Amino acid sequence: MPGSAAALRRQARTHFTRPSKRRGFLVAFEGPDGSGKTTQRKLFKTWLKSEGYDVVTTKWNSSELIKPIIRSRKSVRALSPEEFSLLHGADFRHRVEQVILPALWDGKLVIADRFLFTGLARDVARGLDLDWVLKLYEPLLWPDLVFYFSVSPVTSGKRVTATRTPNFYEAGQDVTDVDDPVESYQRFIARVIREYESLALIFNFITVDAEQSIGDQHRQIRRLFLEGQQRAWSEWNADAVAEWLATNGAR
Amino acid sequence: MKSTRRGKAKLIAVDGVDAAAVVAAAKAALASPSRGGISKWDASGVFQDLAVADRDAGSPSARTLLLLYAADLAFRLRWQIRPALAEGHTVVAAPYVATAVAFGRAAGLPLKWLANLFAFAPHPNALVFVHASRDGRAAAGRDGFVGFVCNHVVGSEESGLRRRLIEGTAAHLKKADRRSK
Repeated sequence: MPGSAAALRRQARTHFTRPSKRRGFLVAFEGPDGSGKTTQRKLFKTWLKSEGYDVVTTKWNSSELIKPIIRSRKSVRALSPEEFSLLHGADFRHRVEQVILPALWDGKLVIADRFLFTGLARDVARGLDLDWVLKLYEPLLWPDLVFYFSVSPVTSGKRVTATRTPNFYEAGQDVTDVDDPVESYQRFIARVIREYESLALIFNFITVDAEQSIGDQHRQIRRLFLEGQQRAWSEWNADAVAEWLATNGAR
Repeated sequence: MKSTRRGKAKLIAVDGVDAAAVVAAAKAALASPSRGGISKWDASGVFQDLAVADRDAGSPSARTLLLLYAADLAFRLRWQIRPALAEGHTVVAAPYVATAVAFGRAAGLPLKWLANLFAFAPHPNALVFVHASRDGRAAAGRDGFVGFVCNHVVGSEESGLRRRLIEGTAAHLKKADRRSK
């Protein structure tokens, strides 16, 4: 380790609170499938770039190292809820270390299309304990803003099944024991949304009514971002940054 | 792991850094091989997949590797360990939880996080610690879990950090052995 944990936390704090420079900023887009968050994420990114921000996007389950491992196991339906949770936790951790923290350190704006809350909502909907799952994600990295795109289970089901059949895990067929993927999806997404609604309260998400028009949502996000970007760096993130500094060497 | 009659189910954990010595101890711990089995690491093939993964994706950290080990252990519990115990057999898990925890401690991870990570794994009925000689520790890295993860964290088989990680893991296993007695 290049320094003590306390020294690394100090280094993190100093770096992210320098008044002279635009600091790295993390925005997470969360919500169930069919909530339109990917559309909004793309609109938001285009707007940010036009405003001069250096933007990096990271998507759920996209680590080049872990994604192939998860994909091959999903394809043969070989994952228990614990394995599903742990592998997604590994994918997330690898992206935090390889993509998210390096970009934040360099002062970039990171948009996460789904963040650890996706893991929490889905894993708890699969019957796992919230506390156990949350601790898997430690040291926690808290986004500066979390936009939660709220839709009803019916709307989510309608939007998703309008163009495709949900896949086995998306439909929660590993835990519902329902053969019909559409019916299974409807049951499973209701559980996921229930967990999301609880998380939105606990973690103070900014809720966007995703049943509004695309334009209205986008304008709301721009406004909330401009208000929120003045927020101070969260001291809660010191441990996550310090651990990353320790494993990546002194910067 | 088949049997015609049900005996007293038993889970024996064998932990250590020297892969060859751990396997030898596992075989010795399994008094009657026809009525039980050995559950080895990477039964799920996660680490085999990792070994051939794109190196440009960046080295996984100790935390990432332990999340993968926990996923592999969940697989082993589901497909090897719990079914055999349900049949009344003896199962030797080699390695089990202690090796992974010792590696995590050597890598500087908090014990609380490690304890939570493996909270789903049942306590074994017996614990066997295999303490490697200096030569055993040096050779630990070719096929075993500890060597594999140390190589990945460090990115090389030839470095002082790798040696320190293996020595640290061995030292934490010794402490765990003392605590277990």
